[in-house]
Amino acid sequence: MKIYLQKFGTTLTSRQAGKEALLAFQPTLSEIGIDEPIEIDFEGVVTFSPSWGDEFLTPLQKEFGERLTIKHTNNPSVQATLKLLEKIHVVRFSHRQ
Amino acid sequence: MIAIGEVAELLGVSQDTLRRWDKNGRLPSVKSSGGHRLYSRFQIELYLNDMEVMAKEWVELGKKISTELHCPDSSVFQARLHKMEELLSRVERLKNIFPLIVAVAGEIGNNSFDHNLGNWPDIPGVFFGYDIQKRRTVLADRGQGVLATLQRVRPALETHAEALRVAFSEVVSGRAPENRGNGLKFVRQVIADNSIGLVFRTGDAELILKKDKADLDIHASTTEFRGCLAFITF
Repeated sequence: MKIYLQKFGTTLTSRQAGKEALLAFQPTLSEIGIDEPIEIDFEGVVTFSPSWGDEFLTPLQKEFGERLTIKHTNNPSVQATLKLLEKIHVVRFSHRQ
Repeated sequence: MIAIGEVAELLGVSQDTLRRWDKNGRLPSVKSSGGHRLYSRFQIELYLNDMEVMAKEWVELGKKISTELHCPDSSVFQARLHKMEELLSRVERLKNIFPLIVAVAGEIGNNSFDHNLGNWPDIPGVFFGYDIQKRRTVLADRGQGVLATLQRVRPALETHAEALRVAFSEVVSGRAPENRGNGLKFVRQVIADNSIGLVFRTGDAELILKKDKADLDIHASTTEFRGCLAFITF
């Protein structure tokens, strides 16, 4: 399954909005197959910050582990946010070109 | 609303200059039904006044601020942050870093709401102003301040300077059911790697961050107040 974050907005910065996004996405997440890979696509997202990311990406990473991959993006706010989340939670997001 | 001719007189510039500033986002206008440029009186006052002084007087002395600079709740802040993002995206020299400037302002502003929701001592919300041309953003809140917020999970903290150091350098855990406390580490990391500057004040302490400066420069500030005040330059 591909998750296009742009569908949640282009300025993804607050915890509140990240929480709401995860909650709204629960019905879709429950449809994911047992071995199905999940790819996060940042195309179209302009600003991304750790507060939103920690509420949405961190729970997904905990649940799906290596099945979760991040599609490469040059957006500096995405890169900086992923770097911090990896450091804080001592995890590594798998990246795909 | 004021017509372009009057604004030209107030600011001492030509109408052609104002049209150029409108196009490049320095001083945007709205169009009348007849297609003429109009400006709000507040917008012009803001241009003539010093945003930093307004923010400082609001947090330190409780002076009144315009509704256009006050975000009483998080949704208003998100909307204005999005507007700033749109204006910054038009600036050629910022095209590689503008999402980072927005992310830094977003983390600082959202921090104010996250840590004070339901506990604002008097006026809820944040002061949020920016001037793209002068390359700066100002954020302030009349909340509890970093020390009081952190003492809930680190009761041993005693000074505002210590609280600033912890907030900007340590991963604070054990805040369950709250899950927060890493935004300012992000701010520090982004500023160390990019041409962005920050002065952050809370209580009687002041922190200065700039590019290629890994150390936390924390010292006593000239005045003491409750809440937070942040000046971002880019």
